Amino acid sequence: MSKNNYKDILFKVYIFIFITIFMLFIILTIFVVFQKSFPNLASIIMDKEIQFAIKLTLYTSTISTIICLIFAVPIAYGLARYDFFGKMIINSIIQISNSIPPIAAGIALLMLFSTKQVEYMANKLGLDPVFSVKGIILANFFINAPYMIRILKGTFEDVNPKLEFVGRTLGCSVWGSFFKITIPLAKNGLISAIIITWINALGEFGTALMLAGAIRMKTETLPVAIFLNLSAGNLDKALAAATILIVISIICLFLFECVQKCNTKKVNY
Amino acid sequence: MLKVEHIYKKLGDFELCDINFKVEDGEYFVILGSTGSGKTIVLETIAGGYNIDRGNIYINDVNINNIPPENRNIGFVYQDYLLFPHLSVRENILFGLKTKKMDRSIMNEILHKISSILNIEHLLDRSPLTLSGGEQQRVAFARAVVTSPKILLLDEISSALDPGTKKKFQHNLKKIHRELNTTTIQVTHDFNEAIYLADRIAIMGNGQIYQIGTADEIFNHPKSKLVEDFIR
Repeated sequence: MSKNNYKDILFKVYIFIFITIFMLFIILTIFVVFQKSFPNLASIIMDKEIQFAIKLTLYTSTISTIICLIFAVPIAYGLARYDFFGKMIINSIIQISNSIPPIAAGIALLMLFSTKQVEYMANKLGLDPVFSVKGIILANFFINAPYMIRILKGTFEDVNPKLEFVGRTLGCSVWGSFFKITIPLAKNGLISAIIITWINALGEFGTALMLAGAIRMKTETLPVAIFLNLSAGNLDKALAAATILIVISIICLFLFECVQKCNTKKVNY
Repeated sequence: MLKVEHIYKKLGDFELCDINFKVEDGEYFVILGSTGSGKTIVLETIAGGYNIDRGNIYINDVNINNIPPENRNIGFVYQDYLLFPHLSVRENILFGLKTKKMDRSIMNEILHKISSILNIEHLLDRSPLTLSGGEQQRVAFARAVVTSPKILLLDEISSALDPGTKKKFQHNLKKIHRELNTTTIQVTHDFNEAIYLADRIAIMGNGQIYQIGTADEIFNHPKSKLVEDFIR
């Protein structure tokens, strides 16, 4: 064996060791949760409180992801396509809510919606988020929208703007070329962004806790159910809620990987 | 008739300077210049891709400076063809006709005619991603001409082809131009192509047009040292 071959093998072994350690760490962690929750899982899933938490988590994650999408598509497209004064500053400001710790973001939102003028306005618009389900949706949106914007910005940057221009020379308006050319070409990026944002929203805890509180059977999402039941010493329920969250996330992750794989296949066609 | 009058356009460090020419109806006008001379920017400006800083563009005496690309009725074929990868060849060709909400039977008739002229009938249900360079070029050309544009802009469309395919395409291009009589402006850096296709040629360099004339005038009677240097 030559000296170079020996070094190659050593290098690969070095990489393999770290992959193995990290994989074992993740698998063991999930396995312990599954093992402990499995005996009582079926009965706990039928529990009213857990069913409420599942429904509320799915509802708030879905609604907040839709709102994120409504905001993220035009913002990301604008940042990807146009050069304008202050673009860098706007880009940085948009990413702030994703960079600050969730708890700090939550208390900031709570303070904002506790000021008289904003509270009055929010009440008038029927958007009173403090200690309500709307607060969970708002917290999810505040934390996850920048993440979605970042993914979609990259996706739109990958679509050749000249394709849109060709579409326009063929009679499409700027809206027409966006919907007939850009959106279909950005489809896989959009799907990935939706899946990732939805997964993040499923597990959002800190910001929502500050703004919407942890009120049993009112603002009790699955992460809040874990927190409340663990605090009350009800380990079985907490583990069941965690298992449900993990299973949903793994399914979504699998879907995300499928979309990515499909995307790579198309590019390499 | 297309009239481009004293156009100025600054794009970063590059500048189009006093671009001034006329193209008669049905004429085949070729802009000849080296890479980076601003030929493609001239075409994109005519098609409405850029707002010009100064100057005017007229089609049949109508100023089109403020008319958006979709209302200029100008066909554009890029060097890299830019077929829509999410659509089939058929859908690519029909794209402009569908936008015009044309009757389905008329659309199919036009599609049949153009695909038979360009010999792409067998490709209609294929994805553009599976086509060769020459096939992509013919499809992109078909997509641009089916809408019967007033002016057709071709940006170095044969530069990526092998010599044999290129010659064949140039022959077809001349034939189709005679048949459709569409006012055409083509950009190229290939002298032989310009001589073969053009009614008149414009020599371009550094964002300026140095000379406009027939192939004979340009190659036998260059007006300036810059043109002489370029054609030698």
